[in-house]
Amino acid sequence: MSAPTQRVDARLKVTGAARYGADLTSPNLAHAVFAVSTIGKGRVVNVETAAAEAVPGVLMVLTRFDASDLGSPGFLMGHGYGFQSLQPLVDDRIAYRGQPIALVVADTLIAATEAANLIRADYEIEPIAVALDAEGAETLSQQEAIPLPFLADIVVGDAGAAFDASPVRIEATFDLPQQHQVPMELIGGVVGWRGDTLVVHEGTQNAGALRGGLARQLGLDPAKIEIISPYTGGGFGQKNSLQPHVGPLALASRRLGRPIKFVMPRTQTFHQASFRPASRQLVRLGADETGRLLAAVHEVDQQTSRHDLFPALYTEITSRLYGIGQFRGRHRLVRTDVQTPGFMRAPWEQAAAFAFESVVDEIAYALGQDPVALRLANDADVDPVTGQPFSSRHLAECLRRGADMFGWAGRTHEPGSMRGADGTQIGWGVASGAYPASIAPAVARLSAAADGKVTVGVDGHEMGQGIRTAIVRLISEDLSVAAEDVIVYVGDTRVAPQHLTAGSWGTATALQAVHAALRDLRKRLNVADSDPVDVEALVAATGQATVDVEATTVAPGQPPEIIEQSRAGLVSFAGPVYPGFTAFSFIAHFAEVRIEPTTRRIRVPRVVSVVDCGRVASPVTAVSQVRGGVVWGIGGALRERSEVDPRYGGFANATMEEYPIPVNADIGEVEVGFVDEPDLLLNPVGVKGLGEVSMVGVAAAIANAVFHATGRRHRRLPIRIEDVL
Amino acid sequence: MRPFSYTAPATVAEAVDALAASGPGTKILAGGTTLYDLMKLDIEAPAAVVDVHRLTEIAAIDTTDPGEFSFGAAARMADVADDPVLRRDFPALAESLAKAASQQLRNMATVGGNLLQRTRCGYFRGGPAFPCNKREPGSGCAALGGLDRGHAIFGGSDTCVATYPGDWAVALRAFDAVVDVIGPRGERTVAIADLHVEPGDTPQREHTLAGDELIVRIRVPVAPSSRGSTYHKIRDRESYAFALVSVAAGVAFDDQGAVEDCRIALGGVATLPWRCPAAEMVLTGERLTEESALRAGEAAFAGARPRAHNVFKIELGIRTVADALRIAGERAVR
Amino acid sequence: MTAIVRRSGGNPTNAPDGGLCLALGDMGSSEATLSSAIRTETAFTVNGLRVKMELDPRESLLDVLRERLGLTGTKKGCDHGQCGACTVHLDGRRIVSCLTPAVQVNGQAVTTIEGVAAPDGTLHPLQEAFIDNDALQCGYCTPGQVMSGLACIAEGHAGDDDEIREYLSGNLCRCGAYAGILAAVRETARRTDPRVGEG
Ligand SMILES: Cc1cc2nc3c(=O)[nH]c(=O)nc-3n(C[C@H](O)[C@H](O)[C@H](O)COP(=O)(O)OP(=O)(O)OC[C@H]3O[C@@H](n4cnc5c(N)ncnc54)[C@H](O)[C@@H]3O)c2cc1C
Ligand code: SF4
Ligand code: FES
Ligand code: FES
Ligand code: FES
Ligand code: FES
Repeated sequence: MSAPTQRVDARLKVTGAARYGADLTSPNLAHAVFAVSTIGKGRVVNVETAAAEAVPGVLMVLTRFDASDLGSPGFLMGHGYGFQSLQPLVDDRIAYRGQPIALVVADTLIAATEAANLIRADYEIEPIAVALDAEGAETLSQQEAIPLPFLADIVVGDAGAAFDASPVRIEATFDLPQQHQVPMELIGGVVGWRGDTLVVHEGTQNAGALRGGLARQLGLDPAKIEIISPYTGGGFGQKNSLQPHVGPLALASRRLGRPIKFVMPRTQTFHQASFRPASRQLVRLGADETGRLLAAVHEVDQQTSRHDLFPALYTEITSRLYGIGQFRGRHRLVRTDVQTPGFMRAPWEQAAAFAFESVVDEIAYALGQDPVALRLANDADVDPVTGQPFSSRHLAECLRRGADMFGWAGRTHEPGSMRGADGTQIGWGVASGAYPASIAPAVARLSAAADGKVTVGVDGHEMGQGIRTAIVRLISEDLSVAAEDVIVYVGDTRVAPQHLTAGSWGTATALQAVHAALRDLRKRLNVADSDPVDVEALVAATGQATVDVEATTVAPGQPPEIIEQSRAGLVSFAGPVYPGFTAFSFIAHFAEVRIEPTTRRIRVPRVVSVVDCGRVASPVTAVSQVRGGVVWGIGGALRERSEVDPRYGGFANATMEEYPIPVNADIGEVEVGFVDEPDLLLNPVGVKGLGEVSMVGVAAAIANAVFHATGRRHRRLPIRIEDVL
Repeated sequence: MRPFSYTAPATVAEAVDALAASGPGTKILAGGTTLYDLMKLDIEAPAAVVDVHRLTEIAAIDTTDPGEFSFGAAARMADVADDPVLRRDFPALAESLAKAASQQLRNMATVGGNLLQRTRCGYFRGGPAFPCNKREPGSGCAALGGLDRGHAIFGGSDTCVATYPGDWAVALRAFDAVVDVIGPRGERTVAIADLHVEPGDTPQREHTLAGDELIVRIRVPVAPSSRGSTYHKIRDRESYAFALVSVAAGVAFDDQGAVEDCRIALGGVATLPWRCPAAEMVLTGERLTEESALRAGEAAFAGARPRAHNVFKIELGIRTVADALRIAGERAVR
Repeated sequence: MTAIVRRSGGNPTNAPDGGLCLALGDMGSSEATLSSAIRTETAFTVNGLRVKMELDPRESLLDVLRERLGLTGTKKGCDHGQCGACTVHLDGRRIVSCLTPAVQVNGQAVTTIEGVAAPDGTLHPLQEAFIDNDALQCGYCTPGQVMSGLACIAEGHAGDDDEIREYLSGNLCRCGAYAGILAAVRETARRTDPRVGEG
């Protein structure tokens, strides 16, 4: 039986039959809308709700919950569940513009919206600091503020001195903007009660945190909470935790005795969920005259909120991209008046790679060397930080193969040396990327039935990365069953803990657990690991309707008990440093830019990306993942920036019109290659991560190509038309 | 959104009656892509809406008269953009529509409603968190001293610097279109030049039509430069975006190869569709070269008053004018 | 209200969602009441079936399809015409349903993603091409992309790659499936119109 090559849920998606969180309809649904703060910080003195309550069809207007009914979910990165620790609607504090001040529930969405618009509030306004260098922003040393080993500054040797002693030195500071994930699916879903069981349908990457967090917030038994999220309409980090609307909706629904549908307006999604924080990055890189990189310093100031410390991990990859003997990283966190920033596809790595790989390119030019050759000459053979081996590392192969596919040999070195007939400036740029290969604990429950069908419930969420397809492929190949006979439950707390799916560990994590369950099943069916299986016959032979197995797996080096932490809905992943090895995915990107001679529009007609993500678990969906990452990279390099007006706080371009994510016409050819070497040290299926690494380095490759076209370096993103005029 | 009453008259006469009969809180609804959108944002709140979207009486596209093209106000943007005669003989008009919004929106939006679309200024659309004289007269203007990259460098005032966002009206302005309107007081014709007004002290007032006046058609005289014309639009992404700078340009040459008819109007940079007579003068009687085109561009942007974040629009604009003239010149019959 | 609307699909493969509706159970039912006094009787067809209902003129076609008719294949991504996720056909032309007041479609024919495949479940060639070219990831923009792609071909705007890209730019895809979408539309256009793409 050959494994399916197509995405297994594609048919449901092209017919509109796939059901996302807000697709549940029922005649007795009520609809909810939040009214939000118009000020950037301060106190709500009074909320005027009379006009809202008078709107026909309005069922309730809630402005305050008792903190004992609605506690803090805790912060995801602080042993909690929420995208931030702050729960709105429990006191009079306003921490950021866009924070909810009232919840309106009505019979119809029309009534709820009309009423929410009628809510007015009086405030006491306090001054705000929303930029890294704003007066009133507070800068902390990360390793002092959060004394956890994995957040300590990475220091190898004496990079400062080695840099000073280097014959060739480049130093540059980069400013990276806030950005927003903007998944197409709006935040929200349906919240209701079945008896005393709370049922939440919502697109999420972390059903476990919704359950654990609601249990904590509402004082419920987690066993009485079900989170159901078979499809997530894009997550990209935005949906990686419990968001503050769910708790209030649960309480309102209980009071009302009706389920409530809530779909957050797009503008509110920019304020009631996380975003990629602004950062400022200083990079110093020293080399000898032959092009050997001797020392690197990478210091980053990253924005966080007043109420939480969203950690910074920029140097995790920059310390490993090359075999640089001396490295010094430093992370500082800057408290500002915003909702807590958080994960957005390649949260730190995208910015870190832009800064670092720009400087690597610059040093190649300072030395008169080819940027690919310089990178190849500085490849690392062991993890420079720990001294232990990489589980696998094929970055050099990515660079070589990518250069080949791109036709890099045809490039002329001098900036500005390649032109189109009409004077168009052509630039070719390269950059490397890396992303930690993490693994999380997981539970897989597999049930093989006498009719030949196999049902599996496993930790994992389908947000388009193709996890369901990868699982079906593994089972179908292993048990020789048709793809149609494999039924997969993911994103569902009724079948598994549903640990956070992010950081590209989802596929490796789920597959490793399913793989273990398959081994158990074979034992129960008495077939050797390599023998062919006839599920129907073997199950029938047991005399039972089904044979059920359950397997639990953890990351290398994790104690088995870690699964309890995951069952509680808490983040429990491990990596990239494991006992005995260090694991990263790697990538090389090659980009061509064309800049119009007069009006200077920058276009990216083609990109070639070659990835080392271990074994490619599902070739078709993997190519799509990488292409998507490249689209994100193009958006990050040339388009996306969340604008902040320091007088008002919040985000000023919080719409899909003004926050310009790329459109179809922005995207040219994207060619993808895979090294496809299994990483069997990391897990028995040989899979590393793919989703995030695919965008790491794209912006740098584009910026380096812009330099090659124009001779000008860019230290800020996005690079817009006014930057190249 | 506030409640409102809805009527869909079957004829223009009925529509005029309905408008005459209803009070000052009445709005004409066409494709709704501006009006209904702003109602959803709670920025427009009409008490009554008169729907003219399907008045076929005013939906005709007529490009058969070689002297004048005429477009019913309720004709869809997409249909006008795809009109083969227009594309060949008057590309600036067709392109101004084809490069606007998306095909879905162009299938809904009418060429009449398009003229009266409202600014995309984020503070205006952003609602009560921001002061905005246009939305709430007297409240102030958040764009002054704020994020003004998208704002106007021509035609602004101390109370508002919001850009007129449309494309079609810019092309119409370059070619001296007129607008026929009908109302309870009868019919009249308004030159496109007299349709929009600068914000002055009353940015909430954007045009000169009365609330009960219905646009029935737009007429555009075919000029010598119609065929040699283009609408060149520069934006933050390749499609589905409003203009940073746009230029409607047309040129026609005399027997000697000198420019005898030149049209230049700007979008994305002014509080209303912005015609550039001085720039047109620069080229008239001259040869169209890279150098003369740039001089025209410079003349077009002389007197611009940029704000903190949009100084670049001057340089970009000059080059866009020059490019547009080149494209137009290549199309012109010599 | 006499809405009878065909659901497409059949039994989902690999992706059970059967539990979805059942899971919530019955929390008592109070029929939603219209909050506005000003209602307008509106009659139109959806996927060939007649619908007649009293509408608050404020209701968007998108919300009526999703919340009143249970046709949730059409998605909401922005509610302001800025993303294309809610694309449907009105009298055969693509529009965004979020900026269409539902009362406006009185007497017209609406086609949604649920009406694209044949009644027996046979997919439209464009749907097949989306699957073959993996023109989707999370799938949330996909119904809108399919509706837009169908119209793009029917309009004759699928002549070459640049034209397809331009005429599909009104449908954002945050997953970045643009290359697959382009390929699917190109392939289907060629198959349905032999003149397209030959020169
Ligand atoms: C996401 C998005 C992107 C867009 N991008 C662009 C773009 O790039 N370029 C561009 O030019 N436009 C763009 N638009 C704007 C769009 O083109 C306009 O909204 C549209 O043309 C308005 O026409 P309508 O028929 O929908 O008007 P409506 O919204 O129905 O009406 C607009 C105004 O005109 C009045 N009105 C309508 N018809 C008449 C009439 N016959 N007589 C008198 N008054 C009338 C209405 O009362 C209202 O005040 C975009 C819109 C959206 C939502
Ligand atoms: S520029 Fe005009 S529309 Fe924008 S905030 Fe100022 S007054 Fe309002
Ligand atoms: S974007 Fe983070 S998991 Fe894919
Ligand atoms: S903020 Fe007004 S146009 Fe952008
Ligand atoms: S939901 Fe209609 S265009 Fe976005
Ligand atoms: S497939 Fe996810 S947004 Fe397009």
